[in-house]
Amino acid sequence: MGNRPADHFIPEIYHHELAPGLRVVGMEYDRVPWVSLTCMIKRGAETAPAGKEGVADLTAELLTLGTARRDQLELALETESRGASLTAHARWDHTTITIEGLAEDYEDLLALLAEVVLQPGFPEGEFALLQERRQAELIHLRDDPREMANRCYFRLFFGDSPYGRPVNGDLESVAALTLTDLKEWYRAQCQPVAATLAVVGMVPRDRVVAAAQHRFGDWRPAGEPTPVYDAPPSRPGAPGIYLVDRPDLTQSEIRAGHLGLPRRHPDFFPLRLVNYVLGGGGFSSRLMARVRSDLGLTYGINSHFHFRRAPGPFIISTFTPAPHTAQVVSEIQAVMRELRQGGLTPEELANAQSYYVGHFPLGLETPGGLARQLVSIDLHDLERDYLNTYRHRLQAVTLEQAQAAARAHLHPDDLVILVYGPAAVCQGDLEKLGAVTLLPL
Amino acid sequence: MATHLDSSSWQPRIDIREFHYPNGLTLLVVPEHRLPIVSFQVHYGVGARHERQGITGISHLFEHLMFRGSKELGPEEFSRVIQAKGGEVNAFTSTDNTSYFENLPAEHLELAIRLEAERLQHLSLTEDNFAAEREVVRSERKLRTVDSPFGLPLEQLYSLAYTHHPYQWMVIGRDRDLQTLTLADCLEYHRLHYTAANIVITVAGDVDPETARTLVEKYFGSLPASPRPPDTATPEPPQRGERRAVYKKVSQVEAFLAGFHIPPLKDPDIYAILLLSGVLGMGKASRFHQRFVRPGKAIEIDVESTPPPFTSQDPGLLLILGVAAPGQDLAALEQETWEEIDQIRTRGVSPEELARVKKLYKSQFVRVMANNFYRGLLAGLFRVKTGETDLVNQILENYARVTPTDLQAVARRYLSPDNRSVVIIQPVSQEENAALGEVC
Repeated sequence: MGNRPADHFIPEIYHHELAPGLRVVGMEYDRVPWVSLTCMIKRGAETAPAGKEGVADLTAELLTLGTARRDQLELALETESRGASLTAHARWDHTTITIEGLAEDYEDLLALLAEVVLQPGFPEGEFALLQERRQAELIHLRDDPREMANRCYFRLFFGDSPYGRPVNGDLESVAALTLTDLKEWYRAQCQPVAATLAVVGMVPRDRVVAAAQHRFGDWRPAGEPTPVYDAPPSRPGAPGIYLVDRPDLTQSEIRAGHLGLPRRHPDFFPLRLVNYVLGGGGFSSRLMARVRSDLGLTYGINSHFHFRRAPGPFIISTFTPAPHTAQVVSEIQAVMRELRQGGLTPEELANAQSYYVGHFPLGLETPGGLARQLVSIDLHDLERDYLNTYRHRLQAVTLEQAQAAARAHLHPDDLVILVYGPAAVCQGDLEKLGAVTLLPL
Repeated sequence: MATHLDSSSWQPRIDIREFHYPNGLTLLVVPEHRLPIVSFQVHYGVGARHERQGITGISHLFEHLMFRGSKELGPEEFSRVIQAKGGEVNAFTSTDNTSYFENLPAEHLELAIRLEAERLQHLSLTEDNFAAEREVVRSERKLRTVDSPFGLPLEQLYSLAYTHHPYQWMVIGRDRDLQTLTLADCLEYHRLHYTAANIVITVAGDVDPETARTLVEKYFGSLPASPRPPDTATPEPPQRGERRAVYKKVSQVEAFLAGFHIPPLKDPDIYAILLLSGVLGMGKASRFHQRFVRPGKAIEIDVESTPPPFTSQDPGLLLILGVAAPGQDLAALEQETWEEIDQIRTRGVSPEELARVKKLYKSQFVRVMANNFYRGLLAGLFRVKTGETDLVNQILENYARVTPTDLQAVARRYLSPDNRSVVIIQPVSQEENAALGEVC
């Protein structure tokens, strides 16, 4: 395997406990005078009560629309007059409130972030407008075939389990939300014991820690947040072919997948390499080689294991001119079977390893990229020296381990396949592959 | 404090070393040594503005063909070889240029240079892989244009706003042309435009300028000298009155797309126009957000004018997309949009509004400077589109010197109703959609 690569350029991660359970994790960054400040709440869309989907994401955005001290316009002017941006989103497993801007403003930006997180205004008028806006956006979303295919797929696959319910809710759930629901979600989940402040910027560590202590150090818990969700779905969708009819489309969006693994699964590294060979490696992947390069049936195809705290989905995503839909589905199944049965070649494994190892420093260029790494490391309780050992752990994967991971975790005969496209053009050929279940739009 | 963490000592100036080779090729080196990585970019001065009716889309299709094999490498092997070294490989075609790049560990820079030169000089294509790639591009067109919410209306807007200049078609081209283009057409296009004098190479990152100069000489130095191809783009005459069209499609929303002719990249007015677009639509404190989006009149109202050097080489369009919220009147939204613009034309903007947007653009610039790829792109695109590399180091000054009076002046000059084209997106049912005929 050779010597471990030199790692002098890997930034050191610092940690500091600000309050019980609340820590700041950070990196000093010297390429440009920028600072990225993220308050991560380690609870996300999965905590939404049934019928209240979207509550985490709406709460996050409402935090940016007014504090106890400032209304939405004052807050926007306070942020944007510094050239900064303030954004907040719920995701699976976590919610982030991020402010980014010039390093010279870091104290003001940190103070603003603390105000947004700790002194929410919950303005009633803004909530009503936000609710209306989100419903309008959900209606407009129906015009986006790719997004609709994703939403249909998650619902089909996970059913009523938390990962099946859309992060930003649906029309009914958003309409049903009340300001009280948002306040309750904030009260229950936004607790220092489940929060981390991630800081990357051209600011020395001691100044970050002092400012963070000043602004966040008095944050005290007001209860216990919801227990961490880490269970597999109770009833994942049954394998088979499902079709949503969109007569006006010229291409079919195709999703094919099955249940994947949680982030902390010991096969994370072997499977990452296997997936690179299957569909994660762009033109180095077998799916791209077959479906795009050899056959010209699509502009793009990829596969992805969504590693979350609970087992996330494994999904192959592509699109093709509608007459080719069934052929592409067949090719996907064939490529998966070949990889599972025949395994990777030594050269494929070596290329996947050298890709990730060589590419590693490219992920260290921007404060935003580094902040995402910090958030991921902290959210999944990865080792503190994760960045230092990452390349070695990839290189240490043997061909046998990769083959075993492919056999254990790829299931080409148990795919849940969704086609979102014009049924009149593609249904007949799909039925030759197996029974097709039509789903309502 | 360690000086490397003192933000007040940071200088925004990009240090660029420029080299010119006897065959006409230009090399720009942008050193930055903090990480052992480099971005290698080859910019060709050819894009949709060099096309003509009947061969629309050929620039972009040819970009795809550059990955389909050479004397040394099979189809897509270029990407696989670079990726196996940890590199990112991609390319993009715009109205004015076609650019190929590899972002990779600095130790593999020579490999990228050698392979880019090899495929340029020894491209090897067959009818079969040409045919497969044509279908890939047609799939890309369906993805980005035909099945996307506003792709075909945008295509209609450009063909409405331009009657002479090649900007009237999109970079992806028309489907009919994609179907009839031949491999021979593409090879002729390559012969004409992929010449040394039409190339700007950028190397940004952990590289010594002299080393880069020597390596580029080694692999690109043998390209024959040849003049830049003739510029055939017909200038667009001034628009003399508003143009309007309706586009019917299956849609959940009503929307309008508008375009105002604006000056080219090299015109100093472009900075005031960008700041004006920011006053209108950038951020939650912007006029459009506060007037339309926050109160629920519009789902979105975007003002799109791309910052230099992404601004088009010839006079382009400032685009406004207004999407009415369900139940809201699109005509009223459009009318109020023009009223807001008229307010600026008559009363100007406040110094505070302008200061906010200047700071936003400044911070955007600082942020992208973190990235070798963008540092290289800024230098390379200015050079290939204007012939002037150092414009990249004037960006912040050009924003800084704009006054509220300048904003009012450009609003009056360019955002007039007579200079405007508008496409209304009108929703129809699936049945009506089918009756209107096929889209392609």
